[in-house]
Amino acid sequence: MQNNEETLDELENRLAQLRRALRLAMVERDAARVAQLRQQLHRAESLWEDKAAAEQPVSAADASDASAPAPVSPDAPVSEPALAALLPTREQVHQTLSLLEVPAAPKLITAVHEAFFPGELPASRLASLRRDEERSYRSAPNARPYYLCPALTADRLAPARALLTVSTWPLERRIMGAHSPRVDFLTTATKIASALISYSQLGPRWTPDAQTRAERLLRSFAVSIPGALGPPTLAGHVPALDPDQVGDAAKAELSVHLEVDRRQRSEAATWARDRLSEAERLFGNRLASVRNSASAD
Amino acid sequence: MNTTTTRLNALRGGQPPVNHNARTLVGLSVNPGCARRALLDACGADKGTVARQAGHPWQFGQSRFALARGNAFEQQVKEYGGARLLALLRESLDLPVEQVAYIPLKSVGDSTGREQRYRQTCRALVGAARGGPDPGTLYDHPMLRLNVGGNDVYLEPDLIAFKIGDRFYIVEIKSFPVIDRQANGAQVAAATRQASIYVIALQDLFATNGLDPELVATSVFLVTPKDFGNTPIATLVDARKQISMLNRQLARMDRIDILLDLLPSGLTFDLAVDTTGVPTRPAANLAADLRRIPARYRPECMAHCELAGLCRDEARQNASLDVYGQGVVDIFGGVDTTHTALALAEGRQPSDDQAGVARTLRHAERLRAALAEGAA
Repeated sequence: MQNNEETLDELENRLAQLRRALRLAMVERDAARVAQLRQQLHRAESLWEDKAAAEQPVSAADASDASAPAPVSPDAPVSEPALAALLPTREQVHQTLSLLEVPAAPKLITAVHEAFFPGELPASRLASLRRDEERSYRSAPNARPYYLCPALTADRLAPARALLTVSTWPLERRIMGAHSPRVDFLTTATKIASALISYSQLGPRWTPDAQTRAERLLRSFAVSIPGALGPPTLAGHVPALDPDQVGDAAKAELSVHLEVDRRQRSEAATWARDRLSEAERLFGNRLASVRNSASAD
Repeated sequence: MNTTTTRLNALRGGQPPVNHNARTLVGLSVNPGCARRALLDACGADKGTVARQAGHPWQFGQSRFALARGNAFEQQVKEYGGARLLALLRESLDLPVEQVAYIPLKSVGDSTGREQRYRQTCRALVGAARGGPDPGTLYDHPMLRLNVGGNDVYLEPDLIAFKIGDRFYIVEIKSFPVIDRQANGAQVAAATRQASIYVIALQDLFATNGLDPELVATSVFLVTPKDFGNTPIATLVDARKQISMLNRQLARMDRIDILLDLLPSGLTFDLAVDTTGVPTRPAANLAADLRRIPARYRPECMAHCELAGLCRDEARQNASLDVYGQGVVDIFGGVDTTHTALALAEGRQPSDDQAGVARTLRHAERLRAALAEGAA
């Protein structure tokens, strides 16, 4: 999927491509694909309209998609989803990761984004993100305020499968030890629980749909945390969801693992600082033969 | 290279060998008496391609939908460091809260090479068994190895859980439902057989590293969806019977040279692949070579063996009773074909061991004739 930094020419090319693909899908009577392409075409068209309008007064047309994520203001003249659609994918991911503050897989990023932020962020758009970020870094190191990087495995500091992090995070947080999946899972639960509590005070600006999605997401975490859900009220009925209770239960289990995990992560981080270049610290050590001295013996 | 390997390579021909996996090993144990399958598997021939080239392509295979469903369920159980699975293990095995370590073994850095992953798995599991500083709890996608008939076969279980009491458990995640605590018996049996292969491979790994194979539990964890939803439940299944059966089966594979000695010379499954990778060997020629090796067709083969179409065709041509399944074969002990059965029914003098069957057949024939007369 393309991001929103493409020029008008590129957009026009894409529009032509999409129309061709749409016609083909219609000939093949592939209804699902037709619907999907129509949606994409529609998005691209409105993006083209916006861009074309923005280019007219010549001035800072590109400023809107440059750096920091534009805060979504409720008074903005454009509707929230339209504004969010203008946010590049990397900004959307950054926004989501900043809420979670732990390494997250595309599926989780999409789910959290759907629940707490306006606009769409399909997981398919995240597929090429890691590669694009690395390419961008390598062509002009540190030109951007942050990069989206993989998490690193503690044993060989290699890029961990699927997990995304932000380059500005402390290295310890970006490293995955043996206990880290559980610690990050519990941390995520606390973050979602507290986001749910604070967002529910937003009132009508947080759509009921999004709230339902957020509650469903939190419940999917709560079922795997001891004491996070109350006892079932009636036989066969699902127990009630209380974000406070989920947060507390997650913190209680977190206190059991935190120390072990912190030790493993900081050991690996120290090792990484000693041994790896900056690029390797960000995007992982690709030489599989380099091994942790601890695991080698 | 020993002579058995050379002969097996000649039997396979120019194609690269296809490796066994847990499914094929399980398939093997379903019909242990079939020499055709034993030889094809032992030499690593690609049975699917061979069957297609011989004019009997396998029609079924694994359903795309079943695969997608299976993968989605597995992902759900294992996501977030096996969070759901930990909850299940805590519930059913009283796994202590501290034990949450999750060690992914799906790749070694960027490399997904099997040998490298196997070494990594060895290091992790042997380290944990010896009580290293940080014994893991869940090992995701370890790579195991088993020597089958002189060749190394790499196997990839869904997961291994390490539990207190120094026991390693194999966890098998399957997407068939358990409805009202009842699951389809055949599916449970197949899943247990598959998990048993992993138990054997893990026992082998420990044994070769000088550890006690008893560290591996002979019960396996089946994780399946509950009722009609997606909620996973775990069931501990005793797999001792399957393990000993498969062990017997594997020991038999080592004696493949006995089967090789019986083969006529010049026989081969070579597909005569041309430079573009397209097999050119004439179907009749290949089928003729295949038919020179005795097979033991059973209706169940259709679900397990790519070559089943050819064998069924052959069994039908020979009027073999095998086509009707084990039940019929048992009833007709001593009679192999429908021709013999019909001849006996119509009054041919039976041999001594056929006397009982012949009496039954004649009785049935009299009843049939009486019915036909009544209807006329």
